[in-house]
Parts: sequence; structure tokens; C-alpha cells
Amino acid sequence: MTGLHDMQAMVRDAVFETDTQNPALRAISEHIEPSEGMSSEEHVLVYRRAILGTLVRALGNIFPVGKQLLGEQFFDGMARRYVQETPSRSSDLANYGASFSEFIARFGPAAELPYLPDVARLEWYWHRAFHAADEVAMDPGSLSAVSAGDTGRIIFHLPVSASLISSDFPIHRIWAVNQQEWAGDTAIDLDEGGMYGMVWRRQYDMRIDTFDEPVWTFLNAVAARTCFGKMSESGIAGDLDTLLPRCVQRGWIAGFDLA
Amino acid sequence: MSRFIDKPVAGAGIGLRSTHYQTIIENQPKVPWFEVLTENYFGDGGLPLHFLEKVRADYPVTLHGVGMSLGSADSLDRDYLARLKALAARIEPTYVSDHLAWISVDSRFVHDLLPLPYTEEALANFAAHVREAQDFLGRRLLIENPSSYMGYKETDMTEWEFLQELVVLTDCDILFDVNNVYVSGTNHGFDPIEYLHALPKGRVKEIHLAGYEEQNNYLFDTHGYRVHPPVWDLYQATIEYLGPIPTLIEWDNDIPPFETLLDEAGLAQRVLDSMDAAA
Ligand SMILES: [Fe+2]
Repeated sequence: MTGLHDMQAMVRDAVFETDTQNPALRAISEHIEPSEGMSSEEHVLVYRRAILGTLVRALGNIFPVGKQLLGEQFFDGMARRYVQETPSRSSDLANYGASFSEFIARFGPAAELPYLPDVARLEWYWHRAFHAADEVAMDPGSLSAVSAGDTGRIIFHLPVSASLISSDFPIHRIWAVNQQEWAGDTAIDLDEGGMYGMVWRRQYDMRIDTFDEPVWTFLNAVAARTCFGKMSESGIAGDLDTLLPRCVQRGWIAGFDLA
Repeated sequence: MSRFIDKPVAGAGIGLRSTHYQTIIENQPKVPWFEVLTENYFGDGGLPLHFLEKVRADYPVTLHGVGMSLGSADSLDRDYLARLKALAARIEPTYVSDHLAWISVDSRFVHDLLPLPYTEEALANFAAHVREAQDFLGRRLLIENPSSYMGYKETDMTEWEFLQELVVLTDCDILFDVNNVYVSGTNHGFDPIEYLHALPKGRVKEIHLAGYEEQNNYLFDTHGYRVHPPVWDLYQATIEYLGPIPTLIEWDNDIPPFETLLDEAGLAQRVLDSMDAAA
């Protein structure tokens, strides 16, 4: 007699199997009652369709611009391949899809849209920011409470919802013109160049902010928890006197602690 | 003391969907309670939780989950339970429910409610998980009968026998989904009335109603339609047998305008009221 664990493993294998000979489907079907009008295999296939459908739909909801760019049929076919080779490891469906942009980069048929993996990465960061913890903006005055001797030990933080992103393509513009509410021109010149940006949430306001290279370098140093003293010494972040107030004012810096 | 109005749920409630947040918060419709899908509020913050707390300020709320995977041969996911416990502390739900099903094996999740073989082994495993979860959460769970599309040859008891035993072994309560029992009964050829009459009275704390979809050879539970006439008939029989149990309109796909849900809830409320009048 087949025990509970083995039975469940057999069902799972039948759901995600890619072998067109369907050996896993046939194996579990041995244990499934046929009914009037439906064979054992047809009963299992109801679950294969439902489960793959749920996961493909979940990806479509997280990556709506990717879906828009590829068209529903192409996107769903690609998502199905991803689902078959990428098991979900979390009980929370919102955690599914983290490696989708890497999959797209490897997925030959999508190579015609070279910016697609970066757009997918942007959408994943958006999804993460949407569900990230709430946070109060930093009070700029709190910095003046740090004594002069301690300023070198300051380690700034990005907002908890923030992800830094760069691309060789203008993916923020591609993203914007593919939003439902976009009313303007949808033509984009890919030669207009890449972007540096941050996806984050200010209170309940979802944002994709873009900036120049000095800010990018500075915020990356912040993300790496480089202390302020080290930044000034090494000059990695250029003109800190103007960068820092600008980043605090825009909300890109959300707080600090002392090393 | 609770931050929220605190009264037990009664009457015909509605499943809360994100497309209806605004209209509910602005118009405060006359709905006795809302049910939410637990895992939709597992994020650390953001708009979903913000809206849920706003709704909770004016209405009782029940938490309905699909992610506990109580039927899995795996051990229970402690991270899931911790998140659920934190959410329950924040929202103070009247009930916490999940399904007679499994959604994971070897820590891989299928995100769909799969049926169990109804065996002694599966029962002992399920009961141990319910007890563990109830101890951890410090509250009783409501266990819901699923819609199912396959049955195992290894099964050696009916689903209602399994559920009866489970209540004895764990002291849990039951969420009876009338649509699911109709769907499963049609797909597997059992009589929903027999299921109904096997339910331990006093243990059914909530009822679900939803719409299925007719496929070639079976019924598929999409929660995307109005409640079908035979399910209304079975609901009438259920209320006559069990009394006016709080009833929820579930609608998860192709979500209609809020008025349609109010309409469906109104139909359920009429059935509940007719029992009150007869009593
Ligand atoms: Fe249900």
C-alpha cells in the first residue's frame, strides 16, 4: 500500500511533468478511481490544468508589462515552462517568481526583446515594494543630533521597500508607456540609453525614481552599508555635500545608525 | 481590550476583495461581516493591510486560509503559523479557517487544494497537524470540506466520516461549504444530503456559498459565478437541518460589482431569516 507521502509526491510529479510520454501521470493514475465519463488520468489532469493555470496567472499578475509586451499567448507559454521547472518553495504565492527575469534571459524565444529581463526585474521589485513593511520618512533634523566626532560612523539606510536597478535600456519609460492609464505616445527610442533608478514605496505611493550616476554610486555604497567616513575618504560618492541632502530630501535615504 | 468592535459574526457575510475596498470604506454598506483570504495579508505592510484594518474598524472579520497544508505528510510550516498568529493578533478575527486538503510535499508548494486519500494514516497525520496548529495559535480552527476532482483507490472511509473523526480527535470546528459538497458529490457520485446529515451539529460554525462552472464531465469550482439553483436548494436543506449558521458569499474570480455580492448575500439572508421566523 502506498503511504501518504509517496502518494502526494506522485501527484506533484504528475502535475509538473514535462515528459510527453507522461510516465508520472500514468503512475499516479493507478491509484485514482475512474468515474462515469472520466478516466483516472483525466481526473489527475484536472489538477494539472488548475495548478499550472494558477501559477501562470500569478506570474501574469506580477509581470503585467512583460505580458503586455509579449502578448498573452506567448507570455503564458513561457510562464508555463518556468512553472514546470521552478517549484514554489513558499506557502505564500507572493514569493513566487523571484527568478523569472533570469529565466527570461535564458529563454531563447524571448531574445528578440533584449530589455525584457530588465523589465521583469523592475516588475519584481515593484511587487516586493508593494508588500514591504510600512516606514516613516526620516526626519532630516535627526542628523544634526549626531555629534561632529561621530559623523564618520554614520551608516545610512535605504527605505526598506527599496531596490536599486540599472539597465542598458530605458526600462522605466518602457514600463510607463505600457501602463493602462498611459495616454501619450508609446514609441520609445531604445538608443536613448539606459537608466539608474530605485523602485520603492513612500507611504502608499509606489515609485520608480531615476537619477544620475553619482547618486547611483552613492546609493549603492549606502546599500552596501559603507560608513560615511569611508565614503568621504575614498571619494567613492563624489560631492557628498550636495548628494546627501538631495537624497534625504527625495526620501531615498530613510534613516541611519552609527557603526 | 480590543481596539475593534467585537461581536460574533451572524447572518450573510461577503468575501472581501481588493476591488471593493474603496466602495466599502466610503459607503459602509450594511454587511454583517467580511471574510478575507489570509495569505493576501501576509506582506509586511502596504495598502492591503492598511485597507483591511480600515474595514476591520467597522466590521467583524474572519480569516480564511489556503496555505496551512494541514494534510501534507511534511511537518507543519512554522513560519506560516507565525505569520498567521501575528495577523490574527493584529486583526482579531472571529474565526480562522483552512481546508481539508494538502498543498505541499517535500516543501514544494502547488498552491491548489489537493484532496487526501481518506485513510487512517492521513487522518492521524491531519489530526496531529490540527492539534499542533491550534496549540500554537491558541484558538480553535474551522476546517472546510474542499471541492474535489479525484478520489484515491486507497481511500477507506468517506469524507464525512473523516471529518467526524477529525472533530473527535482535535476538537476543531467545521466550515461547511455547500457549493463544494454539491460539486464533490456530483463528481464522485455521493449524496450531499447524506454528507449533511453526518455533520456533527453544533460544530458547524460557518457556511460557504459560491458558484461552480460546468465542464464536459464534471463540475469545477471557480468561485466566479452566482450560486446555482441546486446549491440554493441544498443550502435551504442545510439551514433547515443546522439552523441559521453564519453564511459567506465567496467570489474569487471575475469579481463582479459589489452590488452583485450584496444581492447574493441578500438571498442567503432571506433563507436565514425564514428559519428565525419559523423558530
Ligand atoms: Fe469555500
